[in-house]
Amino acid sequence: MIKINSLTKNYTTYIKEPGLKGSFKSLFIRRKKVKEALKSVSLEISQGEIVGLIGANGAGKTTLIKILAGIVFPSSGEVSVMGFNPWERNNQYRRCMSLIMGQKAQVWWDLPALDTFLLLKEIYEIDEKLYKENLEFLSETLMVKDQLKTQVRKLSLGERMKIELMASLLHRPKVIFLDEPTIGLDISAQKAVREFIKSYQSEFKPITILTSHYMEDIKELCPRIVIMKEGGFVYDGPLSNIQKMMGDEKCLTVTTKDSTFKLTIPRLELAAKTSEIFQNHDVIDLNIHDPSIENIIESIMKYGLHST
Amino acid sequence: MKRYLKLYLHFLRFSFSKAMEFRLDFTFRIVMDIIYYFVNLALFKILFLHTDLIAGWTLEQMMIFVASYLLVDAINMTFFSTNLWWLPYYINKGDLDYYLIRPVSALFFLSVREFSANSFLNLIIAVFIFVYSIINYTQPWEVEKLFGLILLLINGAFIYYLIQMLMIIPAFWTQSTRGFIDLFYTLGLAMERPDRIFKGWIRIIFTTILPFSLIASFPARYFIEGLEELSLLHLLSVSLVLWILILSLWKKGLRNYSSASS
Repeated sequence: MIKINSLTKNYTTYIKEPGLKGSFKSLFIRRKKVKEALKSVSLEISQGEIVGLIGANGAGKTTLIKILAGIVFPSSGEVSVMGFNPWERNNQYRRCMSLIMGQKAQVWWDLPALDTFLLLKEIYEIDEKLYKENLEFLSETLMVKDQLKTQVRKLSLGERMKIELMASLLHRPKVIFLDEPTIGLDISAQKAVREFIKSYQSEFKPITILTSHYMEDIKELCPRIVIMKEGGFVYDGPLSNIQKMMGDEKCLTVTTKDSTFKLTIPRLELAAKTSEIFQNHDVIDLNIHDPSIENIIESIMKYGLHST
Repeated sequence: MKRYLKLYLHFLRFSFSKAMEFRLDFTFRIVMDIIYYFVNLALFKILFLHTDLIAGWTLEQMMIFVASYLLVDAINMTFFSTNLWWLPYYINKGDLDYYLIRPVSALFFLSVREFSANSFLNLIIAVFIFVYSIINYTQPWEVEKLFGLILLLINGAFIYYLIQMLMIIPAFWTQSTRGFIDLFYTLGLAMERPDRIFKGWIRIIFTTILPFSLIASFPARYFIEGLEELSLLHLLSVSLVLWILILSLWKKGLRNYSSASS
């Protein structure tokens, strides 16, 4: 169970003008700038749930996850994960939590994965039986049995990500934070990682928070999504609802002699707008369809939620 | 405690299997360090051609001191220096994340995870120099004194580590700690001088907040001429206070850690 109550995080940075002159100036006068990475957000997630956290770069996703993992201290607000306060850095909490970052490696680069796994076994005090069982299960489902004895730096990006996943799940965490686990992977590797997360989730029922820029990940894995914009939540609810909420809009794809363009129009104005287009352009093809989830989320990320 | 020893054995295994792969670097470092040892030993031998006593010590007494700081330096190079070299970069680039989520002390992990197998051979050479200087020592000495000297030098290596951390931890607040670390290497030469040559406030600094004199000079004096109880107590309490200071600064630093990222 995760409970977040009016959580706020501010970063203080100093503005430096570019160039040598700017550096010299900032020696004497420093202008402070406070960036609000999280603006009083609240959230509740229950056991077994998997939640997709979506937002543009800098919207605050990673900050939120790092606070939940106990890496970053919040400025104010309350957080409880499985009854623990993450930034008290309780070892009991750390033992049932896992963080996987697609952009940062945790396994020893120059060594075979199995060596890192043995170290993790020691760190998490995983008992022999569970370790063997988990190793077997994870390498089987991820299909990396033959890569465990190869030095990690010699593996492909996709294989490496699978090894990272294994390393993070050996201690069978109850809370999992997945920060862009599919970033940079090719389509088939993305799919494999996705399939794995899905089957892991249904087998062990952890709480999972997933961030990703690939809508495919979100659509496949997350029945519930939270959309972030500039440090706040703009939507929190079922993924399926989002299409209904924006159901009052239609998309038009118009092809004329010289170009193709797309429009989103309120349903009630559809007839008027369409005839206007026919009058003003030399239309070859016109297509009316419901907005896709990708389009809706993109527009929420840009403009926030608006009721039509 | 037992768990941390076990973890350390893993680090050892990792480091040796890695070192075997990079053989050129391996040989190069050993040659460099042998030159460093040679220069240190030769310097004092040459000085003693012109005088009988330096800071109240004869050549053979001075050799005990030189062997002592070479040993501390070798311990530092073998156990800590690779880790501490990278630590400020990790802090700035936000690479502490994976260390901070583990159920073990992050400070322990970050301080000793890279055992420098390359320097290990030099540690052995330093031990030889140390044994040699003891064998060549003609004054009477007791076994307890030798035992005490070794313990104090291990404590000295720990002090050396703590002073380095004192220079590194500001990285949580500033962009770069290169300045502090350069300062450390400049002042660090104080470790290689007998403490008697420092007077006044310089002496106070080198025996309290930047206790370079407590690393090898005090221990050598303990072996050669004995230390008063008060000096011994001073040495141990400064080590302890510095340790507590580092632990609390580390905690404060983590509060400020912003984990730069994508």
